[in-house]
Amino acid sequence: MHIRAFICAFLLVCLFAIGADAQDGPNPGQQNAGAIASGGTLYRARCAECHGADAKGVAGHDLTRLWTSGATDERVFQTIRNGVPNTIMPSSTAPDGELRALIAYLRSLNGPAAPEPLRGNAENGERVFAANCSSCHAINGLGGRLGPDLSRIAQSRAQLTEAIRSPASAIASGYQTVTVVTRDGERVTGTLKGEDAFSVQLMDTSQRLRAYMKPGLKSFVREPGSLMPEYGVNRVSESDLDDLIRYLSTFRPAAGRPRREP
Amino acid sequence: MIAMRIDTKERTALLAVVLGSSLVLAQEKPPSGLTSQEIAHGYEAPTRWPTYSGDYTGQRHTPLTQITPANAHRLSAQWTFQTGIIPRRGYEGTPLVVDGVMYLTGPFNTAWAVDARTGRAFWRYRRDLPNDLTYGAVSPVNRGMGLLGNRLFLPTADAHLVALDTASGNVVWDTALADYKIGYAATAAPLVVKDKVIVGISGGDFPTRGFLDAYDPETGKRIWRFYTVPGPGEAGSDTWPGADVMARGGGATWVTGAYDPELNLIYWGTGNPNPLYYGEDRKGTNLYTASIIAIDADTGTLQWYHQFTPHDTHDWDSNHVPVLAELPIAGQQRKVVMVANRNGFFYVFDRATGKLLVGKPFSDTTWARELDANGHPIVVNDGSKGCLPDQWGSTNHMPPSYDPARRLFFVTVRETCAAYLPVKEEIVPGRISNSGTVRRDADRSYGVLRAIDPTNVERKWEFKYPTPTMAGTMSTASGVVFAGDNEGNFMAFDAATGKNLWFYPTGAPIWGAAAMSYMLDGRQYVVIGSGTNVTAFALPPQ
Repeated sequence: MHIRAFICAFLLVCLFAIGADAQDGPNPGQQNAGAIASGGTLYRARCAECHGADAKGVAGHDLTRLWTSGATDERVFQTIRNGVPNTIMPSSTAPDGELRALIAYLRSLNGPAAPEPLRGNAENGERVFAANCSSCHAINGLGGRLGPDLSRIAQSRAQLTEAIRSPASAIASGYQTVTVVTRDGERVTGTLKGEDAFSVQLMDTSQRLRAYMKPGLKSFVREPGSLMPEYGVNRVSESDLDDLIRYLSTFRPAAGRPRREP
Repeated sequence: MIAMRIDTKERTALLAVVLGSSLVLAQEKPPSGLTSQEIAHGYEAPTRWPTYSGDYTGQRHTPLTQITPANAHRLSAQWTFQTGIIPRRGYEGTPLVVDGVMYLTGPFNTAWAVDARTGRAFWRYRRDLPNDLTYGAVSPVNRGMGLLGNRLFLPTADAHLVALDTASGNVVWDTALADYKIGYAATAAPLVVKDKVIVGISGGDFPTRGFLDAYDPETGKRIWRFYTVPGPGEAGSDTWPGADVMARGGGATWVTGAYDPELNLIYWGTGNPNPLYYGEDRKGTNLYTASIIAIDADTGTLQWYHQFTPHDTHDWDSNHVPVLAELPIAGQQRKVVMVANRNGFFYVFDRATGKLLVGKPFSDTTWARELDANGHPIVVNDGSKGCLPDQWGSTNHMPPSYDPARRLFFVTVRETCAAYLPVKEEIVPGRISNSGTVRRDADRSYGVLRAIDPTNVERKWEFKYPTPTMAGTMSTASGVVFAGDNEGNFMAFDAATGKNLWFYPTGAPIWGAAAMSYMLDGRQYVVIGSGTNVTAFALPPQ
């Protein structure tokens, strides 16, 4: 349910789907303050529209945690160069130098590249996941669909903690809670998958896809909260939380192992 | 033109018959094509849509009446043409139709002639574009062509104007408008006026100097140019800090204008000053950016202007289709030009003198709520006191339409919320110079189709969309308004009440385009582009 979790997971899929052959080489602009400034200019002109002025994502993804999530300069380069198929992220014909400057700028926004130390017990984490999460979240094809797929979740400990303890703090697009009441009185709550002036598409809490024409509804309400309950310490102890995050981290794609989708 | 609809086999048979009757087909002159008088008559021939807005007024209001509020719910798709080209934003063009042939363009300077009954192609043109495009790479869009005689006039992403033969799509001439390498491109459908092709330029987001040009349709030779940013010592240069800034001052002309044959004046909008958001190095009002200009069609000289957004720092280009009409204002019938502007205000001018007659907000803009005695906004919120319309503005380049009988102006309004973050940046030729960015608040933004009385800017009705939309409108004499939304619906509304009559989900946002219409074989077609498709709709055959 956490927007950043969803964003990073998706971005990693995109990054790893592209650029398999290139080796990670030194980025000439990496340490260059001029390149960072120039990259900032390029970023504001070409990227900020979708990725946000602070690069934390709007329509596009959060770009401030790319490297800590295992991306490399070359993979980011290839993503910018080739675009992301089936999304609005276009390819770029800009000179290599401009893309390198852009990467230098993005790198300057990213936190320290050193991975966070792992702690917790993944085996117990899997049990915690099965008991609390899997009815709504899937990993590697197993689990529910009401919440985002967590197979490639790649987030910091702090982000995952917030997503589990306070899921309403940020809700990914496609997972906002809505309630409709039909003209014959049926009340259906679910996650909003789509809406236009005439219709609404949602997944109800039994994970059925349902669609309604608006004139056939008595009401259509966007709920402020998340369908995901808050998992406070009374439901998931600090120790279990460590284990759960460790378990989720086992699915993080390892740096330096790019994959190309078939 | 009829010969174009005959396939090879039939043509061979026809040739044999013709030769057999001792006529020599090869000596037959090809049809002379559309004349400038016919363009000036606009909708007079119901089978034609001869220019971008349908006629010179920019009203985009067809006199066709077959489709009505009573039967619009029976509209259905008749054919779909697949451009096969994925656009960066959307399909933004308006096709032209003459003698049963539709001429349409796609992104990356593709063009086709298709059968207006079936969407089947006669020919295809694709320009080989260089790989170092500037604005053309950012926005490889094309909004349409001009047509005169047997020639189509296509503006290109590498800032050329190309004349194509209507029968074959072959290039007749190819003229460079400007150097694309420093930031220029050409995207707006040219306007053919008498014996001239009027063409605007794009690329004001790059360090370029905008202009409006006239070309000889026979030779491609330039006849006149009006620079939208003055040169040193010229009128208006005192609104800039220096020659170097003026030389890259922006003011692009990327949306097709309107023309008044009686006054012989062309009305055209100009774009943002450059750079977009950081204005400290271009202090002054920055004429003639973000303005409407009235230009003598013969000489290219400026007759009057009005600057909507002095010293713009919000990317509020004034690139809109100006709409000509006659309106009763203060008890007097006036010949006017109307503009629903990106800055949130609706303006009505006397189109002979440029005198401002009406100027009021048509959106919920918080930037300004009234104009001063000079017609300039009294700015009450520079962005520090909450939302302004975002950089796409309260409306944008999507064409509006105007129903003179009902005296209703139909405009797609974007009620949006954004904060502006200007940054001083180095200005480099060939590189976009935003000098800042914008943080938009999507949760507080939506779209709306609004019908307003242009004499007082009263809202007569409106229809809301979940998100801000970039689709234009077309209206009909029978009282139907066609519009689109960001969710991809193509829709018909009752012009009098705003009641939705019909919708068709096209599957991609309708973005920048507005509908056009023509009669063929006794049926009224309505055409819209969306995503990679252009689709024609009509009522079932009688």
